Amino acid sequence: MADTNGNKNGFAVHVRNVTKTFGTGEAQVVALKGVDFDARMGELLMIVGPSGCGKTTLLSVIAGTLVFEAGEIDVFDSPLHRLKNREVTEFRKRNVGFIFQQFNLIPTLSILENVSVPLLINGVGRVKAEKKAREVLERMGLAGRENDRPTLLSGGQQQRVAIARALVHDPRLVICDEPTSALDKDTGAKIMELLRDVARHPDRCVIVVTHDNRVFKYADRMTEMEDGRVHKVHENYSQYEQKGNH
Amino acid sequence: MYRLALKMLLGDRAKYIMLVGGLTFASLLMTQQCAVFFGLLSWTTSHMRNMRASIWVVDPKVEQINEIKAMRDTDVNRVRSVTGVAYAVPLYAGVIQARIADGSFKPVQLIGLDSATLVGRPPVVLSGRLEDLRLPHTVMVDELAIERLSLRGGRKIGIGDTFEINDREARIIGICKTDRHFFGYPYVFTTYDEAMQFAPKTRKMLSMVLAEPVKGWTAAQTARQIENETHLKAFTEDEFNKSTIKWFFKNTGIPASFGTTIILGFIVGIVVSGQTFYSFVLENLRNLGALKAMGASNWLLARMLMLQALTVGFIGYGIGVGLTVLFGFAVLKTGQPPFLLPYQLPLFTLVVIIFICMFAALLGIRKIYKLEAAVVFRG
Ligand SMILES: Nc1ncnc2c1ncn2[C@@H]1O[C@H](COP(=O)(O)OP(=O)(O)O)[C@@H](O)[C@H]1O
Ligand SMILES: [Mg+2]
Repeated sequence: MADTNGNKNGFAVHVRNVTKTFGTGEAQVVALKGVDFDARMGELLMIVGPSGCGKTTLLSVIAGTLVFEAGEIDVFDSPLHRLKNREVTEFRKRNVGFIFQQFNLIPTLSILENVSVPLLINGVGRVKAEKKAREVLERMGLAGRENDRPTLLSGGQQQRVAIARALVHDPRLVICDEPTSALDKDTGAKIMELLRDVARHPDRCVIVVTHDNRVFKYADRMTEMEDGRVHKVHENYSQYEQKGNH
Repeated sequence: MYRLALKMLLGDRAKYIMLVGGLTFASLLMTQQCAVFFGLLSWTTSHMRNMRASIWVVDPKVEQINEIKAMRDTDVNRVRSVTGVAYAVPLYAGVIQARIADGSFKPVQLIGLDSATLVGRPPVVLSGRLEDLRLPHTVMVDELAIERLSLRGGRKIGIGDTFEINDREARIIGICKTDRHFFGYPYVFTTYDEAMQFAPKTRKMLSMVLAEPVKGWTAAQTARQIENETHLKAFTEDEFNKSTIKWFFKNTGIPASFGTTIILGFIVGIVVSGQTFYSFVLENLRNLGALKAMGASNWLLARMLMLQALTVGFIGYGIGVGLTVLFGFAVLKTGQPPFLLPYQLPLFTLVVIIFICMFAALLGIRKIYKLEAAVVFRG
């Protein structure tokens, strides 16, 4: 399968035998014990599994925010295992959009400013960045709130601001860690619908880490982790359900 | 991003005010105390500006201008005969009690000038003629003397009025402007001969000899020549200034006490702003981590922190130095306490404040460099 947007294997993300250890000696925790994993263009891939199994750690190494000891990670054309620190930063700046459980919006900046941050980091001028940010906010149904502080918004609205921020610079990889955990069921569902729409794009791959089984049904594919390893890959949600999971 | 960095800083009102306040305090304390110190130092050498001469010849034990060790009258002639001396004149300087109209005594700085040349004359005569000093029993006084020798609440004395020095009448023939002296005594100028009458009699009356070099000789050359030939001590203006200031540094607690205050200002500045800025960075660590995750380089974040630190630095510096200048204007009106603000001083404070800010920023920058972007994923 030749995909011009993906790497040479046709995957957006291709992880082979990656290990990651925290701490040393007695306090040592092996969070990733040789993980193999991949994600494709145009899909919403979910990483699920019990708390502490290494989901966030896997997401962090894929996003290039965490160094790992062994294994190989190719994201698009970038071999993260071979890049220098500076190059990884450059890679994140261009290619990755982040959505966090705690939203992580900067409270002293307006919504518009928060959303324009990735563009500013990419060296886009302020006027242009804010124009683009305004467009994306409008798509997220947040027109008119541009000058408000994030804290004035509800949790669901804040997460939509975060999604706008994650998309504003058109990244090919969107990374979400527990995006619905801080939200109620209905709001969470709306956020997941938004994320699924975001993934419906041939140039984009959305990876969502969650242990919130109410939102599993939005997955195109599911990767189940257990104790630092990928345990199973389900080609769709019904396959996961049929295997007796709920 | 720089604009947003400033907004992030301003958004934290409490810390922002704390930072500006600390840096204002530091720059005010450092600039103002230095200015008062310089002012005080300049007062120790006021004699040099109120009685001007190229070469000051004194007793060999004298180290500074405010210290008088009487010399023999014949020393004037000895100096005159030295090669390289164009002329040399006697000078009397002593603190003497003056008695005013109500019978009370006030100390004054009596200066006796060579009556032929009037060398050592005050720099600015405000009214009257200095030459009138050649009339008997006359004096020229400075503005401070007018204030001190007038009756409290009464009419200000002026030209033609008299007061007593050592039971002898002294008539004011003019008023001059002087630089205030460290000891704070008003200046009373008269002729050397008259001063001999005013001053209590002692075996030796000559305080100093003022000399000028001949054409072709520098003051320093002539001074060395005088020392060689007479074994008296001869200072050029510059040497006497330096020697006097050095003496005050060595023999008084003044530099140490000012130094302590100035260092205190520096320490308060560095501790308050370092501490506050560091906690600002710590509280923003999550935001900074998010920026880092989104691809902001360490260097970009470092520049943002430096901008934030320098911004509060410049604002605090501006307010601090502004207040110092206001203080200076207030002081110049009253003449007390001393105050001297050479342009190098605010520059020096600026450098120190920038140093403090960079230090504060550096504490934060270290934290940023060690920060793993993945922290933003942690709860
Ligand atoms: N920074 C860290 N330092 C030490 N141990 C860590 C760190 N981050 C994660 N871990 C450990 O690694 C394991 C996997 O954590 P994580 O990836 O956060 O799991 P999940 O996201 O699936 O809940 C856990 O045992 C956790 O305690
Ligand atoms: Mg997690």
